[in-house]
Amino acid sequence: MTASIRKLSESNSKPRWSNIVSKVLTYLVLIGVGILSIYPMIIMVINSFKSDQEMYVNPAGLPIRWTLESYGKIFQYHNGLWINLINAIIISLISTVVAVFLCAMAAYAFAKYRFWGRNALFALLLATFMIPPEIIIPGQYILFARLHWINTLQIQILPTITPVLGLFFIRQYMIGIPNEILEAARVDGAGHFETFIKIMLPVSSPVLGAYAILQFLSVWNAYTWPVLVATKAAVQPIMVVLPQMVDPIVGFLPVWGTIMAGATLATLPILIVFIVFQDKFMSSVVVGAVKE
Amino acid sequence: MTVTISMSADKTGIKSQNKLRKKMRGDSLVPYLFISPFLIFFLGLFLGPAFYSLYLSFFRYAGYGASTWVGLGNYLAVLEYPVFWTEIWNTVFYWFAHAVPMMVVAFGLAVLVNSKLVRFKNIFKPLIFMPQIIATVVAALVFQNFFGTQYGILNRILGTEIPWLTDMNLARWVIVALLIWRGLGYWFVIFLAGLTSINPEVMEAATIDGVSVWQRLAYVTIPLMRSSLLFAFVVDGIVTMRLFAEPNVLVGKAGALASVEVAPVVNLVIENIRSARFGMAAATGWSLFILIAAISWFQFRLFQQEEDK
Repeated sequence: MTASIRKLSESNSKPRWSNIVSKVLTYLVLIGVGILSIYPMIIMVINSFKSDQEMYVNPAGLPIRWTLESYGKIFQYHNGLWINLINAIIISLISTVVAVFLCAMAAYAFAKYRFWGRNALFALLLATFMIPPEIIIPGQYILFARLHWINTLQIQILPTITPVLGLFFIRQYMIGIPNEILEAARVDGAGHFETFIKIMLPVSSPVLGAYAILQFLSVWNAYTWPVLVATKAAVQPIMVVLPQMVDPIVGFLPVWGTIMAGATLATLPILIVFIVFQDKFMSSVVVGAVKE
Repeated sequence: MTVTISMSADKTGIKSQNKLRKKMRGDSLVPYLFISPFLIFFLGLFLGPAFYSLYLSFFRYAGYGASTWVGLGNYLAVLEYPVFWTEIWNTVFYWFAHAVPMMVVAFGLAVLVNSKLVRFKNIFKPLIFMPQIIATVVAALVFQNFFGTQYGILNRILGTEIPWLTDMNLARWVIVALLIWRGLGYWFVIFLAGLTSINPEVMEAATIDGVSVWQRLAYVTIPLMRSSLLFAFVVDGIVTMRLFAEPNVLVGKAGALASVEVAPVVNLVIENIRSARFGMAAATGWSLFILIAAISWFQFRLFQQEEDK
């Protein structure tokens, strides 16, 4: 039935002029949007090959003199911007690994065990979705200040390790995993934790990977909390330092070449991962948003 | 994104799990052990500080020494503070000014890419999505470079010196442009996922009946996607209430906060903490929460209406 319908509709749409025109217009729109999407990234990369001085004279065109000077400056700025890049990598990686593990463990219990208070507890956790992290900042700030943790790396990691979204996301997936697999392991004499580590984690790896991407990006992207609690260069992540980079002599002029080099270094790894795993990236975003 | 999640999926698979559960019931402490690490950190780092923030909002407290009970004094002070209202208004402005055109364009692009006219979907989809993976700070800096007055790319190309970022009436629109640029791909991918889930036979039936492309869009696609569009708009509003990095990095100089004229409301929380007015910071935060709760309530009502239809 559908096959014959398809044939019918195909025979209807023989190349007509209106069809060709709308096709050309569609492609023009899409190509236009595509260019707008990547244009800022292109100027970022191109400008990273200019020196800071050239950026004041020639911000728009191709470099008059292609140079790696700005990349070299990354190693000189303050104590070296690479420290801030490494800080960001440490913070994001630890946060991602810990958060995914904590979420997976809790999600496993919520998905595969029945216990007193399970549904109430889960509903309560979901309800805290309503609380925007920003309003907790005053409380968190005082808590960490009492621990003398202002200007440390852990203060930037700890508030991110219990994402309720991750718990929910992973639990939904685990519910769908057949119990037979777990039972087989239990019959073979595996303990609860062993079953979790050896069976549940590998079987859930698709959702763990997808959530890890979301978590990594959100920590990598963080600005509000780090800019408040990391005021010393030694512990700042790159996102906090980049906007503050000004000419050391004049004082207020941004050093655009160096900034663009730093921005490129902070973007390129993620861009490569995105290009390799683009489908996984995009589907994890969609599932994170519209899963009902 | 967050508020949407419903509990409807809870019931699935419960029956098939009974067997396993019987076996596991003996060790009744085990699930609590699995949950406790998450829960302890969650209580200590999130829920505890949240209640502490609520408690703080009724006190005057400088971070050391004694705290003084002021009742609703902080809240009244926030409500009487003109800057609070300016920043609330700014934030709501950013929501409407960017969300409306962004949703329309994202939806239009999704319809185009989903249509039979377009091949190479695998190229356009990641291309349009790509700005979403660029860090907010990086995107804001590139925009700052592009829209700079003296050393900006756009002014250099045009041969002008338009104060895009120093005239606040222009700057707020540059902020809107940044929000659209970075957010478009996200909603595009979500709408595209929604469109592909529409039963193709519905579309084919409409095509057979000789319905034109525009009619199909107006009478089939848009009604089917209506609730997704409304939902997207409201969710985007909740996210926008938390706006901070975009206006401050783009308009603020060298990492400083943006001027009040274009500042979002989160700025007031941060400023209060930096000047050690923790009670005021907490009260500002909880006022923001009330605003978000109002939007969520509006969303909830909207969806009840949608479901009744």
